[in-house]
Amino acid sequence: MKKKRNLRNVLLVVLILGIGAAVYGYKEFNRKSESITNKTADFKVKPLDIISAFTADEKAATLKYGGKIIQVAGLVKKVDKDEQGNYTIVIGDNSSLSSVRCSIDSLFSKDVTALQLNAPAFLKGICTGFNADEMGLGSDVILNKCVIVKD
Amino acid sequence: MKKIVFLFGLIILTAAVSAQDKYFTKAGKIHFDATTSSSPENVDGVNKSSICVMDTKTGNIQFSVLMKGFEFERALMQEHFNENYVESNKFPKTEFKGMITNNASVNYTKDGVYPVKVKGKLTMHGETKDIEADGKLTVKGGKISANADFPVTLADFKVTIPQLVADKVAKMAKITVDCVLEPLK
Repeated sequence: MKKKRNLRNVLLVVLILGIGAAVYGYKEFNRKSESITNKTADFKVKPLDIISAFTADEKAATLKYGGKIIQVAGLVKKVDKDEQGNYTIVIGDNSSLSSVRCSIDSLFSKDVTALQLNAPAFLKGICTGFNADEMGLGSDVILNKCVIVKD
Repeated sequence: MKKIVFLFGLIILTAAVSAQDKYFTKAGKIHFDATTSSSPENVDGVNKSSICVMDTKTGNIQFSVLMKGFEFERALMQEHFNENYVESNKFPKTEFKGMITNNASVNYTKDGVYPVKVKGKLTMHGETKDIEADGKLTVKGGKISANADFPVTLADFKVTIPQLVADKVAKMAKITVDCVLEPLK
C-alpha cells in the first residue's frame, strides 16, 4: 500500500515537472524580441567616446559594448527613412563622417517626429558592432531596436 | 605659378569626378532565409544597417554586414543564430567584395532597369568562397537600387546545424539584397 502511494507521488512529481518543462519550452520558443523601452542602459555614452573606443581597439570595444544596451547623447545629424518607413537616426558631430547610427524600433517610429536636426537627442539601443572606415565613408557604431528617451 | 594652380585644379577635378562614380548606402537590407518545408515557422532575419559601396566606373561592389544586426521575429532564433550558428562574437562581420561583370551594359546616366551579373568573394564565419549572382540595378532619379538573391550553402562556410533541428533549417540559405545607393559626395 505504501509502495503504491510512493509510486503515485513520484509519478505526480514527474507529471508536474513535465508540464512545467513543456510550458517553459513553449514560452521560450515563442518568446519575441522585446522592446528595450523599459530596460536600463548598460552604458551611457557620447558619440565621440564610443567611436574612439571602437577605433582604438575594436575587439575590446566589441566585447564591452556588443549586445549591450547603450544610451547615446548627441546632436541629430540626419534622419533617414527608407521605403518601408523604417527610420535611422544618425547621431554625432557634423564636422566628422563618423557617427552612431540608431535604427529605430518600428514600434516607436512615431516618436521620431519629436527629433530636430542639429538638436540634442537621447537614444538607447542594442549595440550590434562597428563599421570601421574601410571604404572612405567614416566609421559608425551601430545600435539596433532604438527608442528615444528623455535623458 | 600658373602651372601649379592648373595642376591643383586638375587634382581637385579628378577627385570630384571620381567621387561621382561612387554610390553608397549605410542602410542596406540583407535578408537571410533558411526556411524549409518542414520548418515549424519561418527561419529568417533581416539586417537593415548593411554598408554597400559601388563604383559605377569599374563595376566594383563591396558589402559589409554586422552579424549581430540580423533581427529575427523570435528572440530564441536570434540567440541561436548568433551564438550557435554564425558565432557572431568570434566572426562579427560578413563581407563581400566583387564586381559587376557586365558593368558596360549599364547606362548609369539613364533611368532604367538593368540586369547584372555579380561575381566575387564572400567571407562569412571566417571562410571565404566565390559567389556568383544575378541581380538588377534600377537607376532612377540619381539613385541606384541594387537587388539580388542567391543561395549560400551553410556547410561551405562551416556553419553547422545541430542534428536536433537539422531538418527544420535549410542547408542552403537564401540571401536577398535590397539596397538604395546614393552618390558619394
